[in-house]
Amino acid sequence: MGLIAFVLAAAVSLFFILRLGMFWIYWSDPAHRDQPIEGWMTPGYVAYSHHIPKDVIDDTLGLTPGRHPRKTLDDIAEESGRTVEELTILLNAVIAEQQRAGE
Amino acid sequence: MTNILLEWMSHYGVLIIGVTTLLSCLALPVPSSLMMLTAGGFVASGDLTGWSVMAFAFGGAVFGDQIGYYLGRGFGAGILSRMSQNPKRAKLAARARDYIRTRGTMAVFFSRWLVSPLGPYVNLAGGASDMNWLRFSGASVSGEAVWVLLYVTTGYVFADRIVEISTLLGNASGALAAGTVTILLGLWLRHSVRLAQAHNPADKSG
Repeated sequence: MGLIAFVLAAAVSLFFILRLGMFWIYWSDPAHRDQPIEGWMTPGYVAYSHHIPKDVIDDTLGLTPGRHPRKTLDDIAEESGRTVEELTILLNAVIAEQQRAGE
Repeated sequence: MTNILLEWMSHYGVLIIGVTTLLSCLALPVPSSLMMLTAGGFVASGDLTGWSVMAFAFGGAVFGDQIGYYLGRGFGAGILSRMSQNPKRAKLAARARDYIRTRGTMAVFFSRWLVSPLGPYVNLAGGASDMNWLRFSGASVSGEAVWVLLYVTTGYVFADRIVEISTLLGNASGALAAGTVTILLGLWLRHSVRLAQAHNPADKSG
């Protein structure tokens, strides 16, 4: 029984090592690095993770800068009668524009 | 489920982080590492404050360790003493107890952050073998401090690459934990083979 446990543990180790290697290869491609915008993110988080001023994001979403502690994109979408997808398209456009301007 | 938890983190703040780290110390499948990384990201973006994230993550984890320890003490001690009634198993139970008493502090400390998937079971084992409470708690507190500091700071620094870091760290800690179990089982197997050979000298050639 000890031998079975040993073989099983070794197999599980190998599984995690292989997964680690696969993810390592996957993430070393810069194209995979851009974190997609999701509903749980806050405007501040979107701004920070894309290296864009917070005010620009607030402006895009039609928010008063700094007056919305921990509001998520889901909340903002609901309040303004839009969908998160619509907000994501808007934000991606602004992010692309800002990144082009920054280059 | 992860997205719901992350959404809750925005709504309920640091409380949800404490609950998550507590549950993870009891071996419940909650993404506590991802939560702490993201909380670090929220600190960087100004949505949460650093000290409250750390305090709640740390408090939840230490509290969870204590629950695990006392669960082990309550239920595990009975199992161990029942094992001791069988003379063959009594030896094994005694050895496990001795091991935890001599090396328990290190096991508790490193299973908090380096091989964290093993953490909940070490808690139970510590309680079951009646490990000294002060030593257990000292190792738990210092280990959890390393865990929280490591993950929240990493999240803060790599806020734009949290999904990436979380998959890499998750698999690395899985590999380390499984590797540790493999090595321990290997040592134990070698030990039992040697023991069998000592009892049975004719077998030495094999």
